[in-house]
Amino acid sequence: MDSLIIEATDVSPEVLFNLTTNNFIISGKSRPENTGKFYIPIIDWITKFEENLSAQKLEIANNPPIVFLFKLEYFNSVSAKYILDIILMLKDFVVKGHEINIEWHYAESDDDMLDTGTEFSNMVNLKFDFIAH
Amino acid sequence: MTSISTAFEAHQLMCEKNTLIAFTGHFDHLLTTLLLINIKNKLSSLESTTGIDRKVYSVLVESIENVSKHSLSGDEQQNNAILLLSKSEDRYTIVTGNHIINSEIPALKAKLDKVLNHNPTELKQMYREQILSKRSDENNAGLGIIDIAIKSGNMIKYEFKPLTELTSFYLLQTEITIQ
Repeated sequence: MDSLIIEATDVSPEVLFNLTTNNFIISGKSRPENTGKFYIPIIDWITKFEENLSAQKLEIANNPPIVFLFKLEYFNSVSAKYILDIILMLKDFVVKGHEINIEWHYAESDDDMLDTGTEFSNMVNLKFDFIAH
Repeated sequence: MTSISTAFEAHQLMCEKNTLIAFTGHFDHLLTTLLLINIKNKLSSLESTTGIDRKVYSVLVESIENVSKHSLSGDEQQNNAILLLSKSEDRYTIVTGNHIINSEIPALKAKLDKVLNHNPTELKQMYREQILSKRSDENNAGLGIIDIAIKSGNMIKYEFKPLTELTSFYLLQTEITIQ
């Protein structure tokens, strides 16, 4: 299985899921023209990653620890549902016994981004580390 | 037909109403992306310290996408939508307008009224229920209006102006208070 790398555009975020460092980063803006077409391959990759992790096919185990970083500057409401889908998958990771840290980064003046992160964390009952910039 | 005096009058009116952006045309994704980049830069320079630029930008995007969702597909005339962004001392006002088929109005009106009649706590609950519901469309989460209401503190107004027997012009206004 390979790391997942998607370059940022004016309307879609950068995705860097690095299997060497175990840092999984989604950063930037999100309002793709076809939201499903952008997010479904990411969701498929995460599904495959979890299967490999559970089957212990990946050597990474929990060292270094898996850190999932959301560093989104902006996302539209269609993207929000896909982002929540990803968070629900991460919850499933935790339920299955994988150790995983979730970081929600936001600009200090962006209360809405903090509120959305808090709401997602509560909805899914999963702890996020909130990091202001 | 457009003339020098029409352009002058339009300009005078826009200045009088503190208009930052006035755009009319067909809102396709590429054009709105370019428009939004321009607006984002403008807002950042106006609101570099308050952070309100992000809120205004976010409501603008949802408003524009709302236009795309409800627009008629047809000739150019019917695709002619409008976007206005203005700033007064204490608020930003965003208005979008687009042609809509009359038969779609009752469902849209019901959806808007449902949102308008709720307080912030109830809106959060609506958002939660909607985002957790089963997806029926890959490119529409049904969250746009709820999101606008939450971010603006439910400062939404709407109107349907009858045009023909079959169509109307759907106007949506959102205000964002500068705190």
